[in-house]
Amino acid sequence: MKFLPLIWSGIWRKPGRTVLIFLQVCVAFALFGVLQGLKTGVEQLISQTRADVLLVHGTLALFDPLPLSLLERIKSVPGVKVVAPVELFGATYQSPDQKLGVVAVRPVEGWLSAFSYTIAPEYVAAFRQSRTAAIIRDVVATKYGWKIGDHIPLLSKTVQKNGSTDWAFDVVGTYADSDLGGGGDTLLINYDYFDEARVESKGTVKHFKVAIADPALAATVADEIDRRFANSANETRTESMRELAQSQLQSIGDLNFLIRSIVAAVFVALLFATATMMMQSIRERLPELGVLKTLGFTDAAVFLFILAEALTIFVAAAVCGLGLALTVFPLASKVVPGLSMPLIVVAAGLACAILAATVSAVIPAIFAARSNIVAALAGRR
Amino acid sequence: MNFARQCLALLRVNLAGLIERPSSALTILVGVTCAVGALVSMLAMGTGARRQEMGDVRADHAVLSKTGERPGQSDIPRDEAAAILGLPGIRKGSAGEPIVVFESMTFIEGRRRGTRTRIYFPVIGVTPTITEYLPEMRFTGGRMFRPGLQELIAGDSCARQFTGFELGDSRLIHGVAWTVVGHFDEDEAQQCVVYGDVDSIMSAFKSNTYTSVGVMLQSAADFSAFRDAVAANPALHLEALPERAVVEDEFKQLNAILYFVAYFVGSIMALGATLGAVNSLYAIVDSRRRELATLRAIGFAPGSLVVAVLVESVLLAIPGALLGSGLAWILFNGLAASPLGYSIRLAVTPALVGLGILWALGMGLLGGLLPALRAARIPVTTALRAI
Repeated sequence: MKFLPLIWSGIWRKPGRTVLIFLQVCVAFALFGVLQGLKTGVEQLISQTRADVLLVHGTLALFDPLPLSLLERIKSVPGVKVVAPVELFGATYQSPDQKLGVVAVRPVEGWLSAFSYTIAPEYVAAFRQSRTAAIIRDVVATKYGWKIGDHIPLLSKTVQKNGSTDWAFDVVGTYADSDLGGGGDTLLINYDYFDEARVESKGTVKHFKVAIADPALAATVADEIDRRFANSANETRTESMRELAQSQLQSIGDLNFLIRSIVAAVFVALLFATATMMMQSIRERLPELGVLKTLGFTDAAVFLFILAEALTIFVAAAVCGLGLALTVFPLASKVVPGLSMPLIVVAAGLACAILAATVSAVIPAIFAARSNIVAALAGRR
Repeated sequence: MNFARQCLALLRVNLAGLIERPSSALTILVGVTCAVGALVSMLAMGTGARRQEMGDVRADHAVLSKTGERPGQSDIPRDEAAAILGLPGIRKGSAGEPIVVFESMTFIEGRRRGTRTRIYFPVIGVTPTITEYLPEMRFTGGRMFRPGLQELIAGDSCARQFTGFELGDSRLIHGVAWTVVGHFDEDEAQQCVVYGDVDSIMSAFKSNTYTSVGVMLQSAADFSAFRDAVAANPALHLEALPERAVVEDEFKQLNAILYFVAYFVGSIMALGATLGAVNSLYAIVDSRRRELATLRAIGFAPGSLVVAVLVESVLLAIPGALLGSGLAWILFNGLAASPLGYSIRLAVTPALVGLGILWALGMGLLGGLLPALRAARIPVTTALRAI
C-alpha cells in the first residue's frame, strides 16, 4: 500500500503520453464491448426464447395456410397443453404507409401461455365478450393515440362478406410483447369473428401456437405432431420458438468470423502500440529506476512497480471503454431489436485488460528489473 | 523554393532517423494497417452486396406493381396484366410477341448443405418469355421448364448452397412432385432463385394474382413514355418503376446497416490508430529535441519542421493503408458471408483501396499535427543548454 504514491507518480511522469495510452486502450475496449456484446447478446437472446412453445405451420413455407380442423388432432397429442389458432393479415390505418400487422387469435382457456404477450386480466375478459374487440400493442396505441373505447377503422386486402375491405375494431385494452424483436406494430383481434366475416380462405389459419407441458420434450412432441399429418394433404412442420429464433439469427452468427478478425486486429494494434510506448518510457526512466535500486528496492519490486502502473492504466481505461460501449449499445439494438449487453462481456473485457496489460508490460518490466545500477545511473543502456 | 529545400532536407534526416527507432515507426504502421484493414473488409461487404444487387439490373427493364405496393408483394389481377401486353414501347421478342414476364413469387423451404439449417428461398413463377427478358441467363445444365408442367429450373448457387437441387431431383409441393430440369448461371447474384411456370405455380399455391410484372422496353429512353402510358390507362391501377429503383429500395435497409457498421468500426479503429501515431511521433520528437533545436539554431524555419514531421507521419501511414487493404483482399475478397439472411460475396475493389489510402492520409495528418507543432515550438536556447 505504501508504494501507491510511487506507482502513481510513475504513471503521471509524462501526463500527455499516459493520457494518449489511456485513450487508446479506452477506444479499443469500447469497440470490443460493442462487437462482442452484439455476438454474445444474440446468443443470449436465442437462449431466452421459449422452448415450451411450438409453432405448427405448413411444410412449404411459414405462411402457407393450414385448415382449422387440424386443431383437435393436435390437441390430442400427449404433452400438449394448449393449441391456439393464429391467422395473420396486413392492414393500414389512414394512409398506406401506416402499416399494421393484425393477429387473429381465439381466446380459449390458457391461450396466453402460448404467446409472449402480457395482458391485464380485465382486458382479456373484455376481449372475450366483444366480437369486434381489439387489443393494441402498447407502443402502437401510443403512436396513434388510441384509447380504450376508440373505434378504429383499418383498410386491408382481405374482403368482407359485404364486399368491403374496410374493417373496424373496438379498442378494449393494450398489451406488451416480450417477443424477440418486440413484435412490430401489431394488434390482436378475435379469430372467430374475423373468419366468419371474410370471404376467401375461410376456416384456415397461418399457424397453430402450441404450449407444451415439458420443454425438455419439445422435440418429441413436435415429431409426434408432424407424424400425425405425414402423407396427408396438409403435412405440417412443427418447431419450437427457440429453433425458429436460432434459424432467424443464424445469419448474424455468420458474421462471427468477421467480428473475431476485427477484435483480433484491434488487440494486435493495441498491444503493439502500448508495448512500444512502455519500452520507450522505461528507457527514458532508466536513471530514475537506478536511483530506486540504489535506495534498496529489489529487482522484483521494480518489476512489480512497472507491472502495477500498466495494470492501473489498462484496467481504468477498460472500465471507461466498456462503460462507453454500454452507453452506445442501444444504437446496436436497432439492428437486432431487444438486444442488451450481457454483463459477461464486461467481465471478459476486464480479464482481457489485465492480460493485455501484463503482455505489454512484461518485457519492459523485465528490462527494468535486470538493468545494471551503475549503467542505469550513468544513463547508459 | 528555399522552404521546399529545407523541408526535403529535414525529411531526409527524419526518415534516416527512423532506422534507429524502428519500433515507433512500426507502431504507426501496424495501427494504420489494422484500422484500414478493418474498414476495407467491412466496406467490402457493402460493395459486394451492391455489385450483386446492381450487377443484373438493366436500364431497359421496368417493373409494374399495384400503385403503392411493393413489387413481389403486389397482387395484379390477370385482366390488368393482359392489358399490359398492348402498351406502347415494349420490345418484341424473336417470335414477335411483347417481352413481358408475369411473375408470382412465393417462398418455400430448403436446407443448407452441410449444416442442414432450414432456409426459405424464393420460387418465382414466370412466363417462358423470361429467357428473352434476361438475355444474360445461360443454361449450365438441363433445359428450360415446359409451360403447364410441374418443372423447376434453379440458379447455380441453389445447387451449390442447398440440398435437393441436382438435375432430376424432385420435391413435393402440396403433394405434387416438382422436378428440377435445368440449371442456369446467375452472373453476379448469389441469392438462390428458382423459376417455374407461372400458371403451374399459381395453381399449386391457389393464387389468382401476379405479384409483379416485368417489362423489357425498346430502350431505356422509352421508360417515361411507358410510365405515362400506364398512368393514363384507366383500366390499370398499376405503376411502373425502373428496375434500378425497385432493387435499390429492396436493399436500402441492408445497405444502410452494412455501411453504418463499417464506418462505425472503421472510425473507432482509426481513432485508436491516430492516438497511437500521436504518441509515437511525440516520442520521436521528444527524443530528438537537441537535434531539432540545433536545426533551428542553424536557420531552419519552424514551418519546415512542421511540414517535415507531417510528411513523415503520412509516409508511415500510406504503407499501412496498402498493407491493410492487401490483408483485407487476401483474407476476405471473394469470401461468401451471409449477414442478416442475405448471401454476399465480399468484394475488395480499387475504389475501396483508394478510400483506405484517404483514410490513412487523414490518420497520418491528424496524428502528425500536434507532434509537428511541438517540434516547431521547441525553445532553442533551453534545448541546447540541456547538453
